[in-house]
Amino acid sequence: MTDNKIYFKFDGKKYSGVKGDTIASALLRNNVKLVGRSFKYHRPRGIYTCGIEEPNALVQIINEFNEPNVRATVKKIYEGMVVKSQNRWPSLKRDFGSINNLLSPIFSAGFYYKTFMGPKGFWKNLYEPLIRRTAGLGKPPREFKSKSTHLHHNVDILIVGGGLSGLLAAKKLAGTDKDVLLIERENELGGILKNSNKVKSINDQKTSEWLEKTERLLKNSTNIKILKNTTVTTYNYSNHLTAIEDRSVGIEPDNKKSELVLHKIRTENTILANGHIERFLSFRNNDLPGVMLAASFEKYIQRYDVVPDNNPVIFTNNSSTYSLLKLLIDRNCIPRAYVDVRDVKKIERETLDLLEAHNIPFYPKSEVEGCDGNNKIKKISLRTKKNKIIKIEASMLCISGGINPDIHLFTQSKGLVKWDEKILTFKPEKSFQKTITLGSVSGNFIFKKIIDEVNQKLNFIDGVNDIDIKIEVNGSEEFNIKEIWETKNNNNSLWSKSFIDLQNDVTTKDLTQAIREGFDRIEHLKRFTTNSMGTDQGKISSINALGIVSKLLKKSVSEVGTTTYRPPYNPVSFSAIAGRSTYEFYDPERKTPIHPWHLKHNAVFEDVGQWKRPWYYKKYENESMNEAVQRESKQVRESAGILDGSTLGKIEIKGKDALEFVNMMYTNSFTKMKPMSAKYALMLGEDGMVKDDGIVCKINDNHFITTTTSGGAANVLSHMEEFAQTEWPNLNVYLNSITEQFATFNISGPKSRIILSRVFNNIDFSNHKFPYMTFNTFDYLNYKVRILRASFTGEQGYEIYVPPKYALTLWERIFYYSRDVDLVPYGTETMHLLRAEKGYIIVGQETDGTVTPLDLNLNWMIGKKKKDFIGKRSLTRSDIIKGDRKQLVGLVPVDKSYGIEEGQHVIEDKNIPSQIDKPIKMLGHVTSSYFSPTLNHSIAMALIKEGNRKIGSQIYVSTSNMNVIPVEVVKPNFLDPENKRLLS
Amino acid sequence: MLLIKCPYCGERDQSEFTNGGEAHVTRPKNPEQVTDREWAEYVFIRSNPKGIYYERWVHSHGCKKWFNAVRNTSTDEILLTYKIGETPPPIKKFQNTLKSPSGEPDVGSGNFTVKKP
Repeated sequence: MTDNKIYFKFDGKKYSGVKGDTIASALLRNNVKLVGRSFKYHRPRGIYTCGIEEPNALVQIINEFNEPNVRATVKKIYEGMVVKSQNRWPSLKRDFGSINNLLSPIFSAGFYYKTFMGPKGFWKNLYEPLIRRTAGLGKPPREFKSKSTHLHHNVDILIVGGGLSGLLAAKKLAGTDKDVLLIERENELGGILKNSNKVKSINDQKTSEWLEKTERLLKNSTNIKILKNTTVTTYNYSNHLTAIEDRSVGIEPDNKKSELVLHKIRTENTILANGHIERFLSFRNNDLPGVMLAASFEKYIQRYDVVPDNNPVIFTNNSSTYSLLKLLIDRNCIPRAYVDVRDVKKIERETLDLLEAHNIPFYPKSEVEGCDGNNKIKKISLRTKKNKIIKIEASMLCISGGINPDIHLFTQSKGLVKWDEKILTFKPEKSFQKTITLGSVSGNFIFKKIIDEVNQKLNFIDGVNDIDIKIEVNGSEEFNIKEIWETKNNNNSLWSKSFIDLQNDVTTKDLTQAIREGFDRIEHLKRFTTNSMGTDQGKISSINALGIVSKLLKKSVSEVGTTTYRPPYNPVSFSAIAGRSTYEFYDPERKTPIHPWHLKHNAVFEDVGQWKRPWYYKKYENESMNEAVQRESKQVRESAGILDGSTLGKIEIKGKDALEFVNMMYTNSFTKMKPMSAKYALMLGEDGMVKDDGIVCKINDNHFITTTTSGGAANVLSHMEEFAQTEWPNLNVYLNSITEQFATFNISGPKSRIILSRVFNNIDFSNHKFPYMTFNTFDYLNYKVRILRASFTGEQGYEIYVPPKYALTLWERIFYYSRDVDLVPYGTETMHLLRAEKGYIIVGQETDGTVTPLDLNLNWMIGKKKKDFIGKRSLTRSDIIKGDRKQLVGLVPVDKSYGIEEGQHVIEDKNIPSQIDKPIKMLGHVTSSYFSPTLNHSIAMALIKEGNRKIGSQIYVSTSNMNVIPVEVVKPNFLDPENKRLLS
Repeated sequence: MLLIKCPYCGERDQSEFTNGGEAHVTRPKNPEQVTDREWAEYVFIRSNPKGIYYERWVHSHGCKKWFNAVRNTSTDEILLTYKIGETPPPIKKFQNTLKSPSGEPDVGSGNFTVKKP
């Protein structure tokens, strides 16, 4: 055994466990019972279960990026693991937060909702930080590194659970032509055969021998694949399930390998053989370290060879604890007492014989009233048949409140469940999908019936044969459960607690109170009390809550109903969901061909969709954005500037009916437009609201190229596709995105013509030969460029379209020819400023999906003679033509030294009362605002009510320091309204 | 995740598709001639039934083709898909499909996973 020793640390102290131990089994091996503090009251908590259902023993793994809320009952130890307990300060034994337990009478259900109501600002600054400090579980991880991948499976049959019934199903399917995937949560197959000694022998062999043989058989079948350490977390529509495989069980995760694998499984039939979960019982201090579920206690002995306590007290309401009793006696551990709520007549002979033969104090028709102790159980108090309280000294208490089929996945699949009065629990009634349940999940708790169930339920599958096995069990197969949810409390103090949800610190008193306050629907009650809303989702307790509530409401459990089971079944790490889609792979960055040049010239980038666009260029180290933008804008107006516009969306439209299609998509008329000319065009939705804008270039009636906004390219293309395919499939038109086929440069400024004439010295750029809004394609060196005379700055300007391959050389060439002209590279911020000076809109800034072209005073862009286009009819709807809509205007501060803030409210009244009782009348808001270096004052655009009629008047704009500044309403065109610069 | 049959590519995961709202909402032939109310019906109003629903989908991460589907909105089952332009199957054809996962009422929602006694 010594070779097998593994050393790990818990709360700074070194412990040893053996290979295969979970943190919990290793701690129990070292007799550590106290492992954490509870969520709300900071009560001492221990290990309650032996698996995924654990509500209490949550720990933080320090050497795995501080991974929080790890179940100690699941996570396997490895050499050098560093584990810390959670939610305690300064130490687990002396926790300051346990003062909450003293204050607990005021922390009842709905406490937060009722208490932290005001005054204003207290929530954000005081209550929330305070609650976050004291309530809660683990601390968030320090770092995140995804070490997971996704795998897809398409199978015929998925078997969830490799216990007895899952293995029998697999055995039946072995050798058929069905693709079968068998998923087991633990690191070994076997389920109940490994967890308990209930099954004595199979086919006259030891269960371990039968297991080995079966596993070998399955491994040799080519049609069966087995995944271990894998938990199915989600059961979706269309038989789509997801499962998480832990590939670092018992080893320290390696950064280079996948720690977790998310399996996405699509299957024809799903076999759920995922077993059952034992439930607990409510009594006074049922959360004290030392209380453990009976089946879990048995599992620690059977699977991990750890006896948590030599002389526990057993408390039950059913016959499933017989196997634990027998196992303990076989190991010479004599329970201190056996407490059964049932009458002696209801208890099987085998149990009574064992108790008698070993002189075990036996209390039939009795119950555990509560237990006491400081940080662990010292005394257990019983209420006997004659209603007498007696106290027993013991340090552990094993409880069983019954068995719940694990219907979580079944209900996720939308299957219908029904309350069974005999076994007092919900069990599957009717599948919604192709789902089959086998074994205890289907409510069949009798081993000898399993083989019939498997044969009967799977015989519809082609090519299967009946199988047969002989199962011998220890004891009888009776269950004989008696209904009990909570025992009678003998302590009426305000501080006495009997828990219904251990993880969220919900007590049975909270349920009573919630019902008293009117939350008598189970879904409301759950949310008000937070019952079963922890990471364990109340796996051992949610049915108990239904039981208690049904008694309080004097209804049957069926009438109370269950709350909705929602995925995931088990907490899923974000890193498993993310898989490889992290950092740059999550949202890819798109870079233009000029990107390296931008980097070299100290561009600061802005994200536009996925694109990286230069926002501004830093000329020197400490240049601020404002300084850079002022410098760039000034220089464009004085000499020339160049902008990398490669990100603009470009769509090619071809086909016999291209003209008709473009006429429908945009507001403008393109019929009479000359070939090789361009138009600034607006695209509307059917609701008449501006959707996008761009330049439409007509090559001929059968061939158009349009540009879109950088962020809207994909949407515009799919909008066009939708209409082309669904509304007018008869039109002959083909659409193609050519955004990445061309890099685009926008050169503008008074010197732009000089620069271009030097670069392309064979082209005549004169106004006469190359007028505004025309374009042409030219041979240049060994490739073609398309040049369009257009401008978004109001200056003389050109757009150059060039294949990306040649773009960077051409860009550098342009700078080479501009050495003496002072050509400035400018970014998006300067572009925004320059267009604002001209009153040009930006879709998404001046518009927000509620703005029509009429609101923007762009009536001139609407083809009046056109019979129809998308959105046209909406422009004459009564609500659109009424006069008091918001319209786009310009604003200039009356005192030119003031600046206007973007996004501020525009108001009529200059006085803002210090105490605001009623809403202040708001005219609209500022959509864009800049300081114009050319005009030397602030300019702004705003959407305001009846804006057109207000031109010339004085109104007010609010400021962020609760002030107002007077502004004059002007037409939104601040510079060169005659367009002399543009057309020069 | 649903499994959706694209009429052009076959069965694919839902993540490859985008829903496009109700199908067979025809755009008025002469928009100028319809009343505000009729136009608003076309632009804004959709039927949103609980049960059989004819809707449009696009195989956006695939062939990019639009197509129509018949879906039971209470079970999320896609009962049939067909190409644009094909005649929609009559609603009668789907009357025998299961109305809801748990036999809940035709109107209203809520998860009724428990069979009443």
